[in-house]
Amino acid sequence: MKRLFYYLKIWWLMSKNSFMTWLAQKMLLLIFLTGKLMRFAFFAGFLYFIIKGAKSLAGYNAPQVIFFFLTFNLIDIITQFLFREVYRFRPLIVSGDFDLVLTKPYSSLFRSLMGGADLIDLITIPPLVFAVIYIGALLNPSWLQTILYLLLLVNGFLIATAFHIAVLSLAIITLEIDHLVMIYRDLTNLGRFPIDIYKEPLKGILTYLIPVGVMISVPAKALMGLISIQGIVVSFAIGILLILLSFKLWHFALTKYSSASS
Amino acid sequence: MKKYLSVFKISFAQEFAYRLSFVMWRVRNVMQIVLVFFLWDSVFSGTQKIIFGYDKAKIITYVFGLIIVRAFVLSARAQDVAGEIQRGEIVNLLLKPVSYFKYWITRDISSKALNLLFATCEWVILYLILKPEFFFQKDPVSLGGFFLLVALAMFIFFVLIFIVSAITFWMPEAGWGMQFLIIVVAVEFLSGGLFPLDILPSAIQKILYLTPFPYLIFFPLQAYLGKISGLLLIKGIIVSAFWALTLWLLMKTIWYRGLKVYNSPGK
Amino acid sequence: MFVVYLAKVEKAIIVDHLVKNFEVTERKPGLIGAFENIVSPKKKIARALKDVSFTVAKGELVGFIGPNGAGKTTTLKILAGLLFPTAGVTQVLGFDPWERKTEFLKRISLVMGQKNQLWWDLPAIETFELNRAIYEIPKKAYKESLEELVTLLEVEKLLNIQVRRLSLGQRMRLELIAALLHTPEILFFDEPTLGLDLVAQEKIRNFIYDYNRKHEATILLTSHNMNDLINLARRVIVIDEGKIIFDGILDELIARFAKEKIIKLTLSKEMDLKELEKIGKVKKIQFPEVVINVPRSTAAVAAAELLQSFPIADLTIEEENIEDIIRKVFRGETRKAFRK
Repeated sequence: MKRLFYYLKIWWLMSKNSFMTWLAQKMLLLIFLTGKLMRFAFFAGFLYFIIKGAKSLAGYNAPQVIFFFLTFNLIDIITQFLFREVYRFRPLIVSGDFDLVLTKPYSSLFRSLMGGADLIDLITIPPLVFAVIYIGALLNPSWLQTILYLLLLVNGFLIATAFHIAVLSLAIITLEIDHLVMIYRDLTNLGRFPIDIYKEPLKGILTYLIPVGVMISVPAKALMGLISIQGIVVSFAIGILLILLSFKLWHFALTKYSSASS
Repeated sequence: MKKYLSVFKISFAQEFAYRLSFVMWRVRNVMQIVLVFFLWDSVFSGTQKIIFGYDKAKIITYVFGLIIVRAFVLSARAQDVAGEIQRGEIVNLLLKPVSYFKYWITRDISSKALNLLFATCEWVILYLILKPEFFFQKDPVSLGGFFLLVALAMFIFFVLIFIVSAITFWMPEAGWGMQFLIIVVAVEFLSGGLFPLDILPSAIQKILYLTPFPYLIFFPLQAYLGKISGLLLIKGIIVSAFWALTLWLLMKTIWYRGLKVYNSPGK
Repeated sequence: MFVVYLAKVEKAIIVDHLVKNFEVTERKPGLIGAFENIVSPKKKIARALKDVSFTVAKGELVGFIGPNGAGKTTTLKILAGLLFPTAGVTQVLGFDPWERKTEFLKRISLVMGQKNQLWWDLPAIETFELNRAIYEIPKKAYKESLEELVTLLEVEKLLNIQVRRLSLGQRMRLELIAALLHTPEILFFDEPTLGLDLVAQEKIRNFIYDYNRKHEATILLTSHNMNDLINLARRVIVIDEGKIIFDGILDELIARFAKEKIIKLTLSKEMDLKELEKIGKVKKIQFPEVVINVPRSTAAVAAAELLQSFPIADLTIEEENIEDIIRKVFRGETRKAFRK
């Protein structure tokens, strides 16, 4: 318990430093904020026009499709907010500064994962949450469905965390891949739409193997009452399994760490 | 000329040096296409057969066309330029008897060559797997217009990157930010790289045509599909060439000023 | 193992038959090679440490020297818990470094020449506060430690300036503070004076010396810089090709290796300098000064011979330049000398 407070305090201090860094570069902050808002607006607009023309997508109506999209954004942006530091990990390894992380008396995984909370993403979260609630309400979910949605959302975060830990681990094991985290982003981008639009076997892969479906589509479906008990249980199982595997991968990666030469 | 050939060779080899990295880059490209393909496939699986003037064959052709056109136009090594300016490495090349601009064009071409190679393979594989109704253009005028527009598009994109990277001369930290804004976000949506621009209402389309973006991907593909021909095609080529020239002149001016202001950082 | 147990009580650091191997991918050059690298990459085992054993007592200051790639930094990193040893026993303050227990990490520190932990866009004081929380340093101890370090390193005015605006020397001093706020018992220094000007180098060296004295901290440092070793380390360990080839007092190293003595002559009148070749190796001639190298054992006899047979106004016998000796060690020329 005491350790939990310790890590909360450290996270708070690191996030504070991260925010101060952003505020020291106001121009950059503005540029990125604009870019992210633009991206969201463009894609939302694109979605709007598609639905206007096609009337439905894979059997889902307009509010439903938008809700899928918003759920995707919620998970995507909260993950980026917390785990922005993962994008800076490879330079940390290449420069050798990771050594200085390893010699500190805290979890190097914690520091590498959460050491740089992103202020910009934080700014975009409240309006997003509002949008999720608004559109979600339009779909008239029951209490049970809402609770399931929230629980599966947390499960989605677990999976996202597992992915990020895997990215960190791979970055240690092989210096060959840069921008590995972008592959994760491309994979999860497939979840902007309900994964029912994908045909088999891709759909199966996205559901069970690289569980983008479990991460994003399933929570949204739960809200709409479209998921079975089986599906829920399997989803949680996948989430827990992945997070455990990712921890093992990290520890393995550290044994392979070879450290930049002086 | 010989020295640029060796630049080409080294650049080509460097792409391979990070083999996994390169493969991953191709995987990413494929995934993006897959997303777009299935999206449109799904859209057209409903009751509507013609949406925004497209039928399934034409839209799928558009998507498959994207694989090749994106490899031609949007794969650019020149995105490293901003970083070089920021880290002061640009000085190394400015001191050598090579034109910085030509150097990067060569590197770009080598990168595009490699990407094109892989894109073609991916195209074939995806074609065999997904079995799309692809429309093979046979009209030589359309094809000619297509290739000409693609060549212009490559140049426009290249110059655009140089212009955006130039902001690093004045604000070193802003380089990546502007790249993100313009190259990643704006280009992605406004060039037709994700969806054909004519699904948008005509008012918006008119505004977009005032920018160079549609001429990167959308316009060349329209030429291929035969949706613009004759006078419209010629007009399009002229406008595209106009953008190429204007942006090139703009770039030269900005870079001239930028180099004067530049005090290269060092550690 | 029994010996290790007994030694554990007094020794701060124990290393016993340490082995470390790395897996390295060999890259083939050229365009065709680039293709081959994708299809069939070649992996090789690099033996960084072959069989290293030594112990360090509490409060000792030990210098590691050796040619590039000899294994000095690898040893340090294993002791700091960064690298996973392939075989052998390592023990620091009774802990296994690899386990990286919190208790262990709070008592050690690793300082590496040009590696950074200070947040770039913020004043150093922000990083210090962060480290205080990370190391759970009590407020009073933190204040004292900070004050002591800031005064010793003369950085009072720099604490609130953005780190990116400072010079390399200033940054390194602040990095040093960040690394020592928690008053570690064991310090690992990897090339601490790398890239610094002479004045800054001396400041760092004096600081390390004072720290060692004041806190009885055990210090291991690696360096290429001759001055670091001469002025700091009494005991040196020479590593070459992953093996220790000397472990002892610096003076002993010099004595054992300095095979020659240097005789400096001032001639009183012109003479046939070729005659001097019979006595020893003529190294330098700038009339009337001459420098001859003779074997250590025969130095006295040679001097007598010279005084007798040649017109000499002045003669001195000197030890070989320490820098030259150590330079030879770095270049691996000592390998033959140390074959036992």
